[in-house]
Amino acid sequence: MSEEEKPDTGEEKPISMLPGEKVVELLIPLEDYLTAGVHIGTHICTKFMEPFVYRVRSDGLYILDARKIDERVRVAAKFLARYEPSKIAVVSVRQYGFRPVTKMCEYVGCKPFTGRFIPGTFTNPSLAWYFEPDVVVVTDPRADAQAIKEAAEVGVPVVAFADTDNKTEFVDLVIPGNNKGRKSLALLYWLLTRQILRERGVIPPNGDLPEKPADFETKL
Amino acid sequence: MASKYMLSTLNISISEAATPPICSSCHRLMEPGEHGVEFLCPNCGKAVIRRCKRCRQLGVPYVCPNCGFRGP
Repeated sequence: MSEEEKPDTGEEKPISMLPGEKVVELLIPLEDYLTAGVHIGTHICTKFMEPFVYRVRSDGLYILDARKIDERVRVAAKFLARYEPSKIAVVSVRQYGFRPVTKMCEYVGCKPFTGRFIPGTFTNPSLAWYFEPDVVVVTDPRADAQAIKEAAEVGVPVVAFADTDNKTEFVDLVIPGNNKGRKSLALLYWLLTRQILRERGVIPPNGDLPEKPADFETKL
Repeated sequence: MASKYMLSTLNISISEAATPPICSSCHRLMEPGEHGVEFLCPNCGKAVIRRCKRCRQLGVPYVCPNCGFRGP
């Protein structure tokens, strides 16, 4: 859809523009992404994550492209909105992901798996906590390796938040982003939740969640 | 008058030849029982993307034939 066709909502749209590049509309202002540190990578970069890197800082820190993060959040939301909410499994072994995952599951209606991921959860039907997902969302492909392994075994697609140092083995949709920061994870999950609800029509296309990204943060 | 021993014509439905699943990344046949995956394109949701175990493990990119979305 071109810029002329878009309805004028009267509100200021967050944009990202570099000289000589076309205007890109972002889900939230670029400053909010930068404040939360969503774009901050690590000193290591894998081949899998090279397409999402914007530049390498002089100190060797890899920086992710905020526009690609934004684009992938939209795509992932579209993808997840097509599935039945109760069949989506959201996994986080990372402590900073506990609250964002729980909050997302409250809004979207999916199943949270926080803390230790017990082997066999997706593969062993004799377990009381056995769950058969249609799609799996993971916070960190390295920490949540067991969940990815089991999802690969049962043949369900995997959506993963991946930093520059992550391998994306058995991941079918990568959302690049800083998956180590407290604020970053909160913002990423908040954005994903909001976008899923927008795609489903639960909230209007310009609607917002009743809570702010800060409410998704794990309290210290 | 037709004899009762005459061969009657029977309408036998011949099942259509099933298209074997082909990996969207390497365009090879996917074996039955292989730990592959099948899902609709994350972007457009129209085309079916199939990925074999090897391509999933190596992170070989796939391209949606409908919208051109490039994953993973």
